[in-house]
Amino acid sequence: MRMDRRHHILVCTFFIWVLLLTGCATEHRFVKKVAFKDKNKVVMTFAGPVDETWAKDVANYSVYEKQDPDILLKITDIALSPDKRTVTLTFEDALNQDQAHILTVTEMMSAGRSQGTAILTVKKLYFGYLFSILIGAMIINNFVFTKYLGLCVFFGTSQKKTTAVGMGITFTIVIVFASMMSWFLYQFVLKPYHLDFLQVVVFIGLVSLSVQAVDTILRKVNPALFKAFGVYLVLVIANCIIIAVPLILADNEYNAWESLMLSLGAGTGFLIALFLMSSVREKLELANVPPTFRGLPIAFVVAGLFALAFLGFSGMSIF
Amino acid sequence: MDPALVKLALGGLTVLGVIGLFFGIGLALAAHKFAVEINPKIEEVKETLAGAQ
Repeated sequence: MRMDRRHHILVCTFFIWVLLLTGCATEHRFVKKVAFKDKNKVVMTFAGPVDETWAKDVANYSVYEKQDPDILLKITDIALSPDKRTVTLTFEDALNQDQAHILTVTEMMSAGRSQGTAILTVKKLYFGYLFSILIGAMIINNFVFTKYLGLCVFFGTSQKKTTAVGMGITFTIVIVFASMMSWFLYQFVLKPYHLDFLQVVVFIGLVSLSVQAVDTILRKVNPALFKAFGVYLVLVIANCIIIAVPLILADNEYNAWESLMLSLGAGTGFLIALFLMSSVREKLELANVPPTFRGLPIAFVVAGLFALAFLGFSGMSIF
Repeated sequence: MDPALVKLALGGLTVLGVIGLFFGIGLALAAHKFAVEINPKIEEVKETLAGAQ
């Protein structure tokens, strides 16, 4: 058992390292680092001192947002640090730092010698971006409380805490599995063959496939939980969240890591929602609720209150 | 009919068919591996009962 845990930790650290390394890589050997600073600045750090006449010339830099290559951003000021290794570009307007920017630096001159031209991508730290996708899907844009998706399963399995947590975990596994498969098929099969219009059909097929697989496996592995889910396990197929996530992934052209984070966030967000709701509904069993509201109606009222509370997170941005 | 459209339709049919076949076989294998034995007597007893409840 202990060996097993250590193995897991090793695998996790490996993946985190890979993530960090891919996040920090720059594209040119002479440029050590490019990053945003403040609202309208980009800072470049070079491996060696650069010539002042070259660095101060605006014509040597061109910057645009990755999506709009024909709109060049206007540079108003160029500052060179005393050790001549750091150049700070100041732009006329504030930069939209959620977008990746392409920075082209022509013929970098260092001690009279040219270091070639560099095409650099400026973006926020990738790890932070992934984390913001995760937290965004989990809490800020919680699918149940801010988008009102997946309510059938949500009300059906939130009567008891154990069932709710079991459903949340199963749902997370199913959604990660299904959306990763959908992402893969969309990016590598549907898009290259121009079959994007079939995305809904294929995604529904993949979702029902993973639900069927979980159904088969759970029936054997954990019959008690299987019985507790009853009809709701099959209803996961008709859950809106599980079809919404692959569609969002396809729309936003997310890559593998971003897709993983969004589906994981959606799954854990559903788990959180189920856990909160089931905690309240267990207490509601003992409360003196007017007969008209007993059962599902009061549950809807409580869900509305939760949605109001989750509205407090709206508009928040991380990093 | 535009031959490009026919090509697209045939390609779509093939791709969906292959995906369906692949996952169908996968599910069949999984069902075989995780098969749960159901006692046939349960059904027999249920059928002989009145079934009013």
